Amino acid sequence: MTTLAVLEQRDGVLRKISHEVVTAAQRLGDGVEAVVCAAGAVQGADQTGKYGADRIVTLTNPAFAKYAPEGYAQALAERAKQGAYRAVVFAASATGKDLAPRVAAKLGVAVAADLTDLAADGGGVVVTRPVYAGKALLKVKVASRPAVLSLRPNVFTPVERPKAGAAETVAVTVSPGRVVVREIKAAPAGTLDVAEAQVIISGGRGLKEPANFKVLEELARAFGGQAAVGASRAVVDAGWRAHADQVGQTGKTVSPSLYIAVGISGAIQHLAGMRTSKVIVAINKDKDAPIFKVADYGVVGDLFEIVPKLTEEIRKLHG
Amino acid sequence: MKIAVCIKRVPDSETRVKIAADGKSLDEAGVKFVLNPYDEFAVEEALRRKEKAGTGEVAVICLGPAAAQETIRTALAMGADRGVLLQADRIPADPFETAKVIAAELKSTSWDLILFGRMAIDDYNTQVGPLVAELLGLPCVTAVSHLDIEGTKGVAEREIEGGIEVVDFPLPAVLTADKGLNEPRYPALKGIMAAKKKPLEVKPVQPGAGALEVVALTPPPDRKAGKIVGEGAGAVGELVRLLREEAKVL
Amino acid sequence: MDKIVPAQYQPALPLDKLILQEGADGAGGAGDRMELDVLIVGAGPAGLACAIELATLARVDGTELNIGVLEKAAALGEHSLSGAVVNPRALRELFPDLKEGDFPFRGPVTKEAVYLLTKGGKLRLPTPPTMHNRGYYVASLCEIVRWLGTKAEELGVNVFTGFPAAQLLVRDTAVAGVRTAAAGLDRDGKPTSAGTPPNDLVAKVTALAEGTRGLLAQAWCQWQRVPSENPQIFALGVKELWETKQPLDRVIHTLGWPLPSDAFGGSFVYPLELNLVALGLVVGLDYRDAALDVHVLLQRLKQHPLLRELLAGGEMIEWGAKTIPEGGFYSLPERRSGAGVVLLGDAAGFVDVPSLKGIHYAMQSGIFAARAIFQNLKSGAALSEYDRLVNASYIATDLYRTRNMRLAFRDGFYLGGIQAALMTLTGGRFPNGKYRMHADAEVARSVSPGVRPGSDETPLGVSKVDAVFKSGNSTRDTIPSHLIAPPDLPVEVARFYSHVCPAGVYEAGEGRLRINAPNCVDCKATDVLGPRWTPREGGSGPKYKRM
Repeated sequence: MTTLAVLEQRDGVLRKISHEVVTAAQRLGDGVEAVVCAAGAVQGADQTGKYGADRIVTLTNPAFAKYAPEGYAQALAERAKQGAYRAVVFAASATGKDLAPRVAAKLGVAVAADLTDLAADGGGVVVTRPVYAGKALLKVKVASRPAVLSLRPNVFTPVERPKAGAAETVAVTVSPGRVVVREIKAAPAGTLDVAEAQVIISGGRGLKEPANFKVLEELARAFGGQAAVGASRAVVDAGWRAHADQVGQTGKTVSPSLYIAVGISGAIQHLAGMRTSKVIVAINKDKDAPIFKVADYGVVGDLFEIVPKLTEEIRKLHG
Repeated sequence: MKIAVCIKRVPDSETRVKIAADGKSLDEAGVKFVLNPYDEFAVEEALRRKEKAGTGEVAVICLGPAAAQETIRTALAMGADRGVLLQADRIPADPFETAKVIAAELKSTSWDLILFGRMAIDDYNTQVGPLVAELLGLPCVTAVSHLDIEGTKGVAEREIEGGIEVVDFPLPAVLTADKGLNEPRYPALKGIMAAKKKPLEVKPVQPGAGALEVVALTPPPDRKAGKIVGEGAGAVGELVRLLREEAKVL
Repeated sequence: MDKIVPAQYQPALPLDKLILQEGADGAGGAGDRMELDVLIVGAGPAGLACAIELATLARVDGTELNIGVLEKAAALGEHSLSGAVVNPRALRELFPDLKEGDFPFRGPVTKEAVYLLTKGGKLRLPTPPTMHNRGYYVASLCEIVRWLGTKAEELGVNVFTGFPAAQLLVRDTAVAGVRTAAAGLDRDGKPTSAGTPPNDLVAKVTALAEGTRGLLAQAWCQWQRVPSENPQIFALGVKELWETKQPLDRVIHTLGWPLPSDAFGGSFVYPLELNLVALGLVVGLDYRDAALDVHVLLQRLKQHPLLRELLAGGEMIEWGAKTIPEGGFYSLPERRSGAGVVLLGDAAGFVDVPSLKGIHYAMQSGIFAARAIFQNLKSGAALSEYDRLVNASYIATDLYRTRNMRLAFRDGFYLGGIQAALMTLTGGRFPNGKYRMHADAEVARSVSPGVRPGSDETPLGVSKVDAVFKSGNSTRDTIPSHLIAPPDLPVEVARFYSHVCPAGVYEAGEGRLRINAPNCVDCKATDVLGPRWTPREGGSGPKYKRM
């Protein structure tokens, strides 16, 4: 039984998160058919073979240039009904969270949403999903065929496993959509929200004064627009940073791929907001600071020497 | 404006999670239950829409145990007009079964808007709203953080990675409310008094078992002890190497 | 600076803001106005007992009585904290039809022990007669309050949680009701889009049951010049709830280490369940060392073998702090009633320190107040009947018997201990007369430069920031500051405040006082010794569950 992996494109370019979906779909065995809705050819779709897609199907319709919730859902549900798929797998991205339940409902089932683990189990699928703000993991058996799944972003690291990746384009007709995406407004540059960022560099009291946050901003820039600067409650209370930047209790709960805590001691109210980050780096002059207990990697020392050096190294990588 | 708001009773976000003896559910001893915070945005939006229209009704609908009457009263105290408790001891593990029960209740009335919170803070399912929309055949916009309505035309904004989607939709519609849509009001004294007298209908329901079966609820694994890469700027080279090669995040 | 007299830096109670003449300029709140027969401020054991007794009297009599209870916490019990070992006497009187097993207790006290601690050692003391707890019950005050609240609501009482009373509404010299605090203000005090103006609640009788160091009770006593023989004095209790690996089967009290000998206090360790232990440290706020820090001392106490072994492998699941009025008999306001008003429970000072009891006195005072209020509404009888009932009851006789016992400890632990023993032997007759006390803020504190107050980074230790997290406090960070501090303070005083406050509200950074107002757990310690406390928007502060 093949698994249908639903890819995402924006402006005709395949989104990277699609590779995570293909990689995870392979765990269910028996081949992966990747499918993407678009107005025409999707740049980068041919790369999915590299990550393990046996087939890549582009469902085209003139209305599919931008996300068309109803059209996409109709096209994908019809596709899903045609094959005897074991599962239909989405990314639990902003689009995936919107689209997956629409498709699922058309198939008469629910989504097992926001998964961090999945495996085949007889004819069904067993999945794990974090609940209660990550304070517990729920293991669920999905008996429906197909199982409709969505994957938490940044969990399933793409692995290259080249397959045939035979490409196919199918023009589809769908009913006119009632819900229409008129435009996508770009988020103003340099104001990436900490809740959305892949990389967060957070500063605490160790920065000594508000002006010193510029060393963190420089490091964030070195990541080329994927990084945001966060703050501990102490510095937000002190008025150094805006409340919107606060990570932790009464601030935001974040789980980026990389969280760099700079000059933050690691009070539990802060840890509560970032402990589900994939990789945590701590930079602190106090080697006994509690932040080192949750950090994957720690560097002890003067942040004003360490951070600029790190900025330099990251620039090299991205330069 | 005739508006339905579907709400959920959830453990408050500060709840310390303790697994019950069955190994599959939350030990509810000492747990404080509240109105799901995202549903508060939905209730607030409904009240503001009704106030703007000058007429209409806001009904809150909740699937939950008998104790969820208190949750409904919270929404009534904010200003909703009436409540319906679809009473069941357990909320099904399968959101589709939840959606079916709620859709069945909503079907008999013609609503201008049906509002949900974007997600419940306990199960993070993010889907009962759109499932209900599909079951009712209504247009749906999820995770709405800004909303304009003129007559039967709506424009919603929803946050996506790196941008904001601007979405046109016709009424009647199902919307799910995200943070940022509004600031929920504080309950007023008179509201609390009035809430005691507002109609709250209790209807027993029996949701089906569905296709999702809970196998286990477990605490998350402890984070593996990390390592101190080194001291000072000299350790940065090694840190970057580890982030690239071991953690694979660069 | 080598001495600090806290009173020199303490702002006066802002009486002009706290007492509001109805009909004066600015009166007439923009929010709701509600008229009640009886308004009770504070849903603690005193206020709820009063509400329940009143509602019961009205029901028996067939009278309609509109009773409202205002509570600042978001939900019932969330600002309630006590040890607690409870004497069930008042509960029995309030619910004559219920059995002991129906009350929300965790279990009877079967074994108890008192220890004098030294660093690393302990000496078991015979249990002082005042401290016998057989026949009493270990309980969580949060749970008692939730249970009482449910009972009150069943009797038709309106309980409004999330509404702090901020001002006393008065007509000439009579209390007419209260005005609540505004909600939804930004840091500068301007309304946000969810801004909610204050509400006015007016009633024929207002019962102030605000608990320890009640703002409006203080204001009323000052405004009406109601004296007490001694000023009220306070202790600060810091409490933790632990899930332990080792079972505990007894109630434990300790004296001595880690307290300095010129401080009065001790610890308690109570089992709520075999593996759920409440422990806390209580220290009189007349201590002499400016660097004494009750939270830090509690962290140190946990290093003692007695506790270290009990807590090893366990987990702290809740934390909280609260002051306790300790002055006893001579600190009671001369009268606890006036035109349109009565003072109940801790707000009046009904606590017996030698037996470590206050909850049943609070409830009993609520019951008496209810009876006096009911007569007042029925027949116009004076509310001073409440004072008469209290004075003729065990509340007064218990407090009178131990009238000088806490006060003797102003002379230090050992001398105090000897005097207290004599007082016990003589049934309170030793010595003649009354010990004079200074208000806590009048007691000079020595500042010793260079002495570190002790670290909390011990194996079982908890920092203040972590502690506040465990109090459940998730107050919006953008609230306006509710604490009134003088603008310029010597750094030594700022540092002193940072030690007084167990919740890390005050920090002496860069030579000045920094106030992290959202951290506040409403313990009122600095209201006694420094910056004044005023209510924040409803629902803010801690969210105690089983304290």
